[in-house]
Amino acid sequence: MNDSAREIWRQGLWDNNPGLVQLLGLCPLLAVTGTAVNGLGLGLATLFVLVLSNLAVSLTRGLVQPEIRIPVFVLIIATLVTVVDLVMQAWFSGLSRTLGIFIPLIVTNCTILGRAEAFASRRSVGEALIDGLAQGAGFAAVLIALGAGREIVGHGTLMADAHLLLGEWARSLELVVLPEQIGLLLAVLPPGAFIGLGLLIALKNRIANIRAERTRSVSDPSPQAA
Amino acid sequence: MLKTLLTLGLIGLLAAALLSGVHLATRERIAAEQQRQALATLNQLVPESEYDNELFADRFSAWIAGLEAPSTLYRARRDGEPVALLADVTTPNGYSGDIRLLIGIAPNGDVIGVRVLDHRETPGLGDKIELQRSDWIRQFSGRSLGDPPGDQWAADQRGGKFDTLSSATITSSAVIQAVRSVLAWYANNRDNAFEIESEVNAE
Repeated sequence: MNDSAREIWRQGLWDNNPGLVQLLGLCPLLAVTGTAVNGLGLGLATLFVLVLSNLAVSLTRGLVQPEIRIPVFVLIIATLVTVVDLVMQAWFSGLSRTLGIFIPLIVTNCTILGRAEAFASRRSVGEALIDGLAQGAGFAAVLIALGAGREIVGHGTLMADAHLLLGEWARSLELVVLPEQIGLLLAVLPPGAFIGLGLLIALKNRIANIRAERTRSVSDPSPQAA
Repeated sequence: MLKTLLTLGLIGLLAAALLSGVHLATRERIAAEQQRQALATLNQLVPESEYDNELFADRFSAWIAGLEAPSTLYRARRDGEPVALLADVTTPNGYSGDIRLLIGIAPNGDVIGVRVLDHRETPGLGDKIELQRSDWIRQFSGRSLGDPPGDQWAADQRGGKFDTLSSATITSSAVIQAVRSVLAWYANNRDNAFEIESEVNAE
């Protein structure tokens, strides 16, 4: 179990990351990542929905006949997203206005339906829970990294408007990294999202290649002789 | 077949029950939160200490030439005397769609101030109409329909007296013209703007 848990975490955060490898849920990923706080907010909301939907799907996996499983998944996910949307409107209204339409759009995030179909409907509740956490955290990490990068390059700040998510104390979290005059506008505009994501994927592949290289040279110290 | 139907129905019922519960639990808070936010915006222009009526409830709709209809107008009063008229208006002439503004007018027709409530203007250029990004929006305070006169109620890029945000002439003009439209409406309705029956009964 421990080994399998570690493997599920590695899949979600790195090897099979929903944002960088599966390339699922690109609509919210590209659209809301203008700032790190927006990324964090949508990341947490998606993580929450993903964990609950994985749990619900895994719990009902014996009861639901295969031919109706997709409508049931969609119903479960839509219900959970609506719950999150209402809760955010009631308790985090500032952030709810910033993220606007993208909270209801979590329904269409293929990551969630994908995990329900490919993982949660075949595994135990415990594994489904870990998978929800791992995939959700992997997705959130990409949202935050992309949001932070675009915010620094575009606005010269980091964690601006954190108080919308975390309360008044978080106003002091805002860092001014660059003076605003040299902010590169393109980063905050839509093309910046595509360029930023492309760079992140390239970086991820580069690191993965270097690591693969290293393992190969360790297991086979003299490839030339082969 | 029957069993399949039952399963789907049961899960649908569970989902409906959960949603009704959450809706009931959050309904009042969401309504209160929306009203609190609307009031907080109104208070940016007229501080709470300057009026004593139910500002949010003392409102009516009006059709203002040149703006998306209908606009909502709020009235602040103190001891029954007019303090300010606050117009929540939307202009369709922004660079990328609607710009929603809150425009405060004193009973004598002077602009108290203007704030941007909602917009989709270009980040870094047109979004300087927000007070958080620049002081541009403050230039309207104290102006009135005759100051500057007639044709000069326009962006300086277009021969007027108002500052233009660089590379955002369309955005600047949209805001300037919206303020002017509201002032023109008020000039024509000055006598009854504070008399019109409120559309909301005091709750």
